[in-house]
Amino acid sequence: MLNWIEQRTGFVSMAKDFLTEDVPGGASYWYVFGSATLFAMIVQIVTGIFLTFFYAPSAATAWESTRAMYLNPYTHFLLAVHYWGASAMIALVFLHLLQVLIFGAYKSPRELQWVVGVLLLLVTLVLGLTGYLLPWDMDAYFASQVSLNIVGLAPIAGPVMQHIAQGGGAMGTATINRFFGLHVWLMPAVLVLLVGAHLAIFRHNGSAGPVVEDRRTLRPGPFWPDQFFMDGAFSLIVFVIICFLAFALPPYLDAKADPTKFFVPYPAWYFLSLFGLLALVPPIVHLGPLEIGTELIATIIVPTLFLLAVLFIPWLDRSRTRSFASRSRLLWIATIVVCVIVGLTVYGQATTMIKQAAAPASPPESVVLAATTENAPSAGSPGSGAGSQSSSPTNASGAKVFSANCATCHGAQGQGLPGTFPPLANNPVVTGDPNKVIGILINGLHGAISVNGQSYNGQMPAWKGTLSTKDIGDVITYIRGSLGNNHASAVTQAQVSGYKP
Amino acid sequence: MTAQDAPENALEVSRRTFMANATIAIGGIVGVVLAVPIVGSLIPPKNAAAGSWAPLTAQELDMLQKATDKPVKLTFTLKFTDGYLPEQSAAEYVWGIKVDPAKFQAARPDIFTQAGGKPNVDYPVVNMGFVVFSPICPHLGCYYNWSDAQNRFMCPCHGSQYTLDGTHVAGPAPRGLDPLPLREQSGQAEVTWIVYQSNTPQRIVVSYQA
Repeated sequence: MLNWIEQRTGFVSMAKDFLTEDVPGGASYWYVFGSATLFAMIVQIVTGIFLTFFYAPSAATAWESTRAMYLNPYTHFLLAVHYWGASAMIALVFLHLLQVLIFGAYKSPRELQWVVGVLLLLVTLVLGLTGYLLPWDMDAYFASQVSLNIVGLAPIAGPVMQHIAQGGGAMGTATINRFFGLHVWLMPAVLVLLVGAHLAIFRHNGSAGPVVEDRRTLRPGPFWPDQFFMDGAFSLIVFVIICFLAFALPPYLDAKADPTKFFVPYPAWYFLSLFGLLALVPPIVHLGPLEIGTELIATIIVPTLFLLAVLFIPWLDRSRTRSFASRSRLLWIATIVVCVIVGLTVYGQATTMIKQAAAPASPPESVVLAATTENAPSAGSPGSGAGSQSSSPTNASGAKVFSANCATCHGAQGQGLPGTFPPLANNPVVTGDPNKVIGILINGLHGAISVNGQSYNGQMPAWKGTLSTKDIGDVITYIRGSLGNNHASAVTQAQVSGYKP
Repeated sequence: MTAQDAPENALEVSRRTFMANATIAIGGIVGVVLAVPIVGSLIPPKNAAAGSWAPLTAQELDMLQKATDKPVKLTFTLKFTDGYLPEQSAAEYVWGIKVDPAKFQAARPDIFTQAGGKPNVDYPVVNMGFVVFSPICPHLGCYYNWSDAQNRFMCPCHGSQYTLDGTHVAGPAPRGLDPLPLREQSGQAEVTWIVYQSNTPQRIVVSYQA
């Protein structure tokens, strides 16, 4: 049977040729990262293909179809595997790159294999970036807006590139279609072609093998089945981790994208270092009499220069051998760069968390998924953390009044501002006599006060005339029932209009 | 001798060169014919020349007339289209303030940059003694709020602050608040919507809808 096929196609000998590659020095677990990246790519392609069975790219359907995927356990798992598979693929690309860097395997004649590899890293990052937008929830929208605005910052071609990527002056349904085309067709096609080139060059030159003075001392080991098994075993570990994370920590769906609401996006972890860099440098640096805007430097110039440096490592590293000693300077620089990137990532994560803590809370996912399309909740409107109360209309309207009027001073979570504006969360005055609270809202409050042993000296304006009695009732109900651990009784409009000091 | 062997004469050389070049040319023609519509399709259509006008309620206009040291939040229904989707409407708002035209012009040199005190937008900024501001912070596009306590417009995102007349006084914003067109149409005040490029000192129109 195999003979019959071989005679007519040559497939059997082709497969044999492909697998009977000698690995200098024998198989090693050091070489598994490349094949594991390939494995992750295949997982992404397979899950991605089936996700398109359920996803509909347009502003009217993207979030809705994603929500439907969350509601079905099978598609939800598929989506979660795709989400964590993306992280795994990017992590493995970086590990593969580091391993090649440490071994000096990019040296002649493998310079172009390195260059294609760096291009593959870029394509993978673009895939991560474009895929991030597709669910069209608040996070997808605002994170993508940040990246599109950064594209627009690029000198000369920036604004045009942003315009074309967005499909217009602002993000909208055209942006979803374009990102969908990029994520699902163009980038995967480029990825597969580049992987083909990467493997072809690899076969042309053979494996680089371990770092030794005299390559003739290396005893060749077979690729099949020794290295193949190691690659398979490591890929299985990667797959188990992906599935575990997909099961234990599936991705989160926020409320549908609404550009009019305030939202602090959280970038994907592989972009956190760039985010940290942007957060670290002050927006304007004074250099003597010069005022230098740093946004362009941090978002475009530094990453571009860094990428060019990585791309040209085969030509920057001029040592004649691959030995660690002769490349110690490069290896030290690489160590420092990795430490800086990890540090920036941690810093980026910390600043994102601080910003999010200060922003209006998003509704919990259960609320998002339970809502029908017509009254999809949005960040900052329904009271979060209020359990069953969060769906009551009074509370939603109170939360709206709160975030529009009160949050500026008292904080989005009612945490207050030390010394000036008292917290409303866990404040006994707020949850105490409702009549007193109504009075403070109607007439304002001046002079020093003390809450929980801390003194505050801000100015509370009188809201009579600015807010309706209904708004005042709603917002008091909200702050008494939904901030921090507050669980005090609701206040009606009648109580507000019947207020007597 | 096989077909792959060296050609015997110059005629054979020119024949082979011709066929190789012709095949490349065919590829080039196919590529160009496909590239023109592909690149052309990627250039987004121009935004509509102007957005729709939306009337303000009499009650809010009345509040604006009586306003002195505070802005008034003017709500209206904005109609807009997003790509190929059917026309949609959304509740939007703008901030309105009552101004003395001469004082306002003096206070906002970032608007009245043209010769003869003309604004750098193609519509009159002060109408009926009012100025209407876009609710979008010129820094990075968040919606800012009015704070009575601070007597300022304050953006929750990055802390940009503006006085009542929209002058930028604190934070990273590169310009003051953006004015929007306001007109009187058969006894009703109407506003329309313009989104300006964020984070630039100039006012560059991005789109005429949400």
